[in-house]
Amino acid sequence: MQSGGDAGAKRDLPLPTDGVSPSRLTMRGIRKRYGATVALNQVDFEAQPGEVHALLGENGAGKSTLMQILAGLTHLDAGEIELDGVRVAIRSPREARRHGIAMVHQHFTLVPAFTVAENLALDTPSTGWQGLKPYRAPSAAAQALDYARSLGWELPAETRVSELSVGTQQRVEIVKALATEARLLIFDEPTAVLSRNEIEELFHVLRQLRDSGKTVLLIAHKLAEILAVADRVTVLRRGVRVASAPVAETDAEQLAAWMIGPALSAAPKAINSPASMAVAQRRLSPALEGKGIRVRGDRGEWALHDLSFTLARGEILGIGGVDGNGQTELAEALTGLRSMESETLTWEARPFQPGIAPRIGYIPQDRRRIGLATTMSVSDNLLFDAVRESEFRRGPFLRSKALGALAATMIQDFDIRTAGPDLPASALSGGNQQKIVVARALRGQPDLIVAMNPTRGLDIGATRFVHSQLRQARDQRAAIVLISTDLDELAALADRTAILSDGQLTEIDLHAADETQLGLLLGGVPQATISEVEPNA
Amino acid sequence: MNTLPLPTTDVTPPSLPMRTLRFLLQIAGYTLGFLLLLGLTFLALRIPAAEALRSLWTGAFGDAQNGHLAALSNTLIETTPLVLTGLGVVVAWRAGLFSIGGEGQLLMGALAATALAKVGGHLPAPLLTVLMVLVATLSGAVWGALAGWLRVRRNVQEVISTIMLNYVAKFVVSWLVLGVLQEHTHHNPQSESLPNTVLFARLLPRQWSDNMQTSLHGGVFLALLAVLVIAVALYRTPMGFGLRVMGQNAEAARAAHFPVDALRMRAMAISGGLCGLAGVIELLGSSTGSLPANDFSSGWGYTAVPVALLGGLHPGGTLLSALFFGALTAGCRNLSQFQGVPTVLIYLIQGMAVLAVVGGRASRARRTGSETE
Repeated sequence: MQSGGDAGAKRDLPLPTDGVSPSRLTMRGIRKRYGATVALNQVDFEAQPGEVHALLGENGAGKSTLMQILAGLTHLDAGEIELDGVRVAIRSPREARRHGIAMVHQHFTLVPAFTVAENLALDTPSTGWQGLKPYRAPSAAAQALDYARSLGWELPAETRVSELSVGTQQRVEIVKALATEARLLIFDEPTAVLSRNEIEELFHVLRQLRDSGKTVLLIAHKLAEILAVADRVTVLRRGVRVASAPVAETDAEQLAAWMIGPALSAAPKAINSPASMAVAQRRLSPALEGKGIRVRGDRGEWALHDLSFTLARGEILGIGGVDGNGQTELAEALTGLRSMESETLTWEARPFQPGIAPRIGYIPQDRRRIGLATTMSVSDNLLFDAVRESEFRRGPFLRSKALGALAATMIQDFDIRTAGPDLPASALSGGNQQKIVVARALRGQPDLIVAMNPTRGLDIGATRFVHSQLRQARDQRAAIVLISTDLDELAALADRTAILSDGQLTEIDLHAADETQLGLLLGGVPQATISEVEPNA
Repeated sequence: MNTLPLPTTDVTPPSLPMRTLRFLLQIAGYTLGFLLLLGLTFLALRIPAAEALRSLWTGAFGDAQNGHLAALSNTLIETTPLVLTGLGVVVAWRAGLFSIGGEGQLLMGALAATALAKVGGHLPAPLLTVLMVLVATLSGAVWGALAGWLRVRRNVQEVISTIMLNYVAKFVVSWLVLGVLQEHTHHNPQSESLPNTVLFARLLPRQWSDNMQTSLHGGVFLALLAVLVIAVALYRTPMGFGLRVMGQNAEAARAAHFPVDALRMRAMAISGGLCGLAGVIELLGSSTGSLPANDFSSGWGYTAVPVALLGGLHPGGTLLSALFFGALTAGCRNLSQFQGVPTVLIYLIQGMAVLAVVGGRASRARRTGSETE
């Protein structure tokens, strides 16, 4: 019943795709339009019990939309959904849950100020008078915590979620989904924020879930991850289903070809090739010299202690590590958003004055939360900095025409795909939203560029674009600090790399380092951070 | 990647005439719905609907028998303070701040102007008028900035602090007007009346309206000017741009190095200044220019919130919506005079109008799945 795409191999499949048992999930002819954009066009999708089914596609391919329809977060325009052979209508997340569908979101849905137990208790079903009965969070959450234990996790029930590492938060999120007795679990790009060890552990859990008969749907970007954990993969491109095949019968090249289409599949591996050619030639005297840098975190603790590093113009310093080890603080300190203490900190032998000398280009880590005002227009979002430059002012007023022309140029130069400059930024796909952020950061050739996870959640095409832009900026003698959780990205882009872990910077050669060495540097530390940083006020 | 076409689009952004048409249709729809709602309300209260509607209309726009000028001038008089306080809400809201402090800021403006009139009574009349307007605007701004400061430095939510500051202002006015600012006979709970030369001039000559004095005064021009200034400030200056970015996403504004704290203070100060201006305009537009110890404002600071919401949180829209509220107030006054209808009916009607429009917008937003502001 499922066409095997163009894979077309004729051997026995390890999965029951021949219609012996009814599918766990069948979606037929799904259509969805968002304003001007057709997100899904006649998409069929099918998944079995006891399989990990990956959904692959570029940003804007429609895979998130398809899953959101399934989770009741948005409504389909046309098409039908069957669960275990029964036709269902899913009009709300509540109904999705009643049908046994749960979603683990990429952007967590936890209440940060609540403890783990309270967050888990929030989701225990309570209807009518039940909801008015007094309850104790730990007992209400007991069942969920048992689930966690069955997966081998001991969650700190009494700790506030805001104090947990991202990886642990995700575990809470997963347990929350499991506790709804779901038979179908959707994971929306779960590896985006995790370190290597955490990803491996997540995969272990996904396999466990599969073996217990659940259907696991995995929205993913990284081919290697799909090949590692999925049983079957469905590829979407521009709202259309391109192929569906057992993973065992495909390989990375085939998947890349399906995902990107004929235009790009020629050399999908190019982004992984090390870029540091002729580093020695570029290595000039350092422009940025910092010694003994200390920066406080949001709760007043020292997030970075005694950091020292140098950075030359025309050089990319890659900083890796698991989220929450001082990355945000470092980025904000370097861009002048957060005050810091230091023994010495100079830019080209003068005191470091971010914004003045050097001029800064900043690509913040989360485009929707920090990078953009998504309700404002594309051109407004491009002009955040320009509006404050005297060039675009006449007296106290803005020169609207000049600004409009600038926005148009930026849209063209950075290949931002939008139906018009006045469309709200929210109407664009993630990749195009990120291009807005990048365009803004790189405009006017800044001296120092701070980029934090600049390609998180982007497809290969957009990732490649961002990378080439950063390389180009480097070649135009910008000094670049690239902070990323993606080691492949660092290996591909950075001239020198270091790992930031627990507020300490350790320089390491990614190409020479072995896996265990890296793993130790990256992992192991977050747990210690949690216990150290108890709320003190 | 460059070879890929744009995502399939079969809906292009509508052209200007189409948008205008759609807007007019919307207005027509709302008007029809509003009239229906009014009719039903009258029916429920056992008031003859046709007669009541006519009375409402006459109150707001006059009729052939009594002429239009008196009624129209009443409508504009009611509109003026609402335009200014409504703009105050718009500015704060655009900056992501929910200020309900218009009432207090308006009172502080009127109070400061009254105090100035007391100490500066010897100044030449036009100069005193100008100074009073300036001082009142400034005092309103300070009162607003106070809430801004509390938000920025002490992280007190402006929703709370502005409400509290309203009470403070109300009682400071009572205390001072019943104390040092009371009129010289100490009989009446109000401040000294001001000479006519200080008050705003009546705009319409008597002979235009059967020798009856109409109340329209110069303050209405200040309100119109404010609409223009605020629209330009919000959409044509770097500060307005920063305010709007902050209002949509404060985190993004901070990351882009907009001076978020300063912008919050400034938004609250501008918002307060507009309300202070409303206060002094009401004072100088009244027939005596004396500030009563209580009930100076008939809730202009609070009505500002629905005015701004109905106006789509846009300066131009706020002007139209203030006109609507002004006409409704003038009309209802006539209605209650001639038919013994309870005066609270006006608030009922206002409330229903806002609910209808806001609800209509929300349901349209849900249908199209787009985000609204």
